[in-house]
Amino acid sequence: MTMPDVLENFLAQMGYALLEYRGAGAFVPIATLPGWFKGLWDSSSNPIPLSEACPFLENFLFEAEAFWESPSAALCQSETWVEKTPDGHEIPLQARALFLGGKRVLALCNPGAQFHEQVQMLQTARNALLDHERLAREIQKKEILLHCIVHDLSQPLSVMHVAMDCLSEESLSERSKQFLTLGKLASNQQETMIRDILHTFSDDLRASLNAGTEENASTDLLACARKATQALASTFEAKRVRLTVTSPDDPAAQWLVRAEESRLQRIFSNLLENALRYSPPGSQVTVGLESQGEFLKAYVDDQGPGLPKDLRPEQIFGLFMKGKQGGGKAGLGLYFCRITVDRWGGSISCLSLPEKGSRFWFRLPRAAGQPAQPAQDVAKIAAPATPEPQPPPRPLRILFADDQPDIRTLTCHQLKRVGHRVVAARNGSEALRKIRACSFDIILLDHEMPGMNGDEVASAVRKREAGKNTRSFLIACSGNSGPEDVARLKKAGFDTVLSKPFQLEDLYRALAAAPAVAPATALCRKPSAPAQVAFSSVLARIGGDAQLLQRMIRTFLHDTPKRVTSIAAALRRNNAEELASLAHALKGSVSLFGAEPARKLAQDLQELGRAGDLSAAPTLLNSLQEEIANLLGNLRGYAKQNPARPRSAVTVRRKPPRKRGKRRR
Amino acid sequence: MLQKKICMLGSFAVGKTSLVRRFVESIYSDVYQTTVGVKVDKKNVQVNGTDLTLVLWDIYGEDDYQKMHWTYLRGASGYLLVADGTRKATIDKAFSLEQRVREEVGVIPFVFVINKCDLSQDWEVDSALQAQLTEKNWNLLRSSAKTGEGVEEAFALLTRKILG
Repeated sequence: MTMPDVLENFLAQMGYALLEYRGAGAFVPIATLPGWFKGLWDSSSNPIPLSEACPFLENFLFEAEAFWESPSAALCQSETWVEKTPDGHEIPLQARALFLGGKRVLALCNPGAQFHEQVQMLQTARNALLDHERLAREIQKKEILLHCIVHDLSQPLSVMHVAMDCLSEESLSERSKQFLTLGKLASNQQETMIRDILHTFSDDLRASLNAGTEENASTDLLACARKATQALASTFEAKRVRLTVTSPDDPAAQWLVRAEESRLQRIFSNLLENALRYSPPGSQVTVGLESQGEFLKAYVDDQGPGLPKDLRPEQIFGLFMKGKQGGGKAGLGLYFCRITVDRWGGSISCLSLPEKGSRFWFRLPRAAGQPAQPAQDVAKIAAPATPEPQPPPRPLRILFADDQPDIRTLTCHQLKRVGHRVVAARNGSEALRKIRACSFDIILLDHEMPGMNGDEVASAVRKREAGKNTRSFLIACSGNSGPEDVARLKKAGFDTVLSKPFQLEDLYRALAAAPAVAPATALCRKPSAPAQVAFSSVLARIGGDAQLLQRMIRTFLHDTPKRVTSIAAALRRNNAEELASLAHALKGSVSLFGAEPARKLAQDLQELGRAGDLSAAPTLLNSLQEEIANLLGNLRGYAKQNPARPRSAVTVRRKPPRKRGKRRR
Repeated sequence: MLQKKICMLGSFAVGKTSLVRRFVESIYSDVYQTTVGVKVDKKNVQVNGTDLTLVLWDIYGEDDYQKMHWTYLRGASGYLLVADGTRKATIDKAFSLEQRVREEVGVIPFVFVINKCDLSQDWEVDSALQAQLTEKNWNLLRSSAKTGEGVEEAFALLTRKILG
């Protein structure tokens, strides 16, 4: 065997095809072609129009021709590409341009095992990346679920704590106080237990969705629907929306589904709250059930505007998806429903109803098991003595925003009871409007509110304060107060975070963290020391004319109660413009006596009237009435102590009487 | 017959190979098989009364292990930009790929396909991203190589754009 024969044999065994380039995409073999080549392309013609048969080679020829024109030391080699034989067998190939004996040569090779090793390695690496992404998404889902649970559990606990704190301020019998202490103890205990569970939940996410327990759980769908509607009945009533549960055709039918009761009830609550959000007053929301073979279906129908046309049902149940009308809260409610129903092997969707409104439905597999066990009673433990919460030392002007009416009412009540001036807001937008209209020492914002959330309000406040010499003390109320949450809230502009559910001492501690209140907040009620009029200053301003001061006082005593009454009437009529005008006039008259608190209150009322938002006006008017009462008392006292001189002692220049009959014509 | 080269671009595991297989062979496999290198397929189609051959370059998805060779786009009449709706990062990747095509090759017709719409309940396309997509004013289609939804439409739309 000659050397060229050996070389050719070697190349053939290595799977190489050596071809000389003849231009125009055609090649002539210069060695025996390997089997794979003949399986791929027709080699009967000479030259072989290879670039026509192989688009990849046609593309590679650009680089190859450049190399053949000016050969360099650098390799001219293609990446791997894959060709398919007529029977679908895939062959990986690589091409290399060579310059051999003055000939332009193309070497094609089948990397074979080496290629498959490379594929295997990349497959493993990319599978690992995909697994990592899946895991990250799963963790995110569970974190969302955790967030939902924390939020839901903390809401009623907050109400319980504050309600019991309010009760403890009432005059109760000793026996009632004992009951109250027990109640407080139980709610504290429950809070501790929940936190322990949630810590465990965070530490071990796998335990969070105990699939085994859920698979064995069975719950009465109908009973759950009724419980959820009962719980929300008053909320629906407040919005004048009728809420009904359609009775099943077969009263004896079993409605047991494979689900866990508390979460199933939450699904109903979320769907009902969603329906209420879009239901106009006077409309109806209906809950119904249907049997569908192995599944049981529940639906919530409303008579609202129907589904947004640009959203598909699966998007509506997506993460952080909020309605365009801004009615939703965090965009978690429907997402929670979907991931929970999915986990139980069910499905969930929604549709627009033919005439008007929408239907949100879900279906779950039937379960033949026993109903879930009721929750265990809270253990009874002897009540230890708990220290009384101490109110903060100074009265403050506070804005409290929370979308939960019960928390709002109770917290405002508690803050007012200890002498603070409190303005409430039902959502972020309302809070921001009130912040723009009045100044506050402390702004307490619930983190999650419909429309504008606490973060957004805080950012807007800080933006507004930029460049000004003022800084409100912002407190976030949040059910999520882990280190990351706190860092995020502080970044949004909050000074501190009050963890929900909170108790009075937590609230007072947060308020006490506020820096000293600036003189501008002299608006705060000072029941022990009502503002005194500095009569000497007033007299100095009017040139020491005591008579004039007396007349001013008489006029003020005569006019002011009427003005305040008119302001109250304008407020009752919700006439913002008139209220602004009257408050402006009152502001001017109280200024005459240097009554700064009353002047500032009148100014705040005027600004509210100009802004057209009278929601905070009743609170301000109450405060103004108190200040005016103080001022009137003060002035009456002065008038009494400094009676005007008798009229006879005053020189009065009278016009001479006109003579009769001498009228000028 | 008129031939048009079309490249498939997108991150790894978005379904480029599956879209081509669905389009060319009408088959689909649930098993993810990564593409190493380039696979070239052909399909004869008729668009607006014109018969033509689409030469489909299924190019590996770019990641840390394999970088894109822009020479593959040489002579391409257009490209299908593919993302996986369940992985937001692949949509971001598509944005950057489109920009790089403009820089490397110039402006050529393309259609943006968000694949895996059979898993749309798990899509990570939030309202902000939707707004971003609307702002770009791209030709956008949802597809599923699994069910075949939007696959023919995507190639047909791209071919129409290529033919002008």
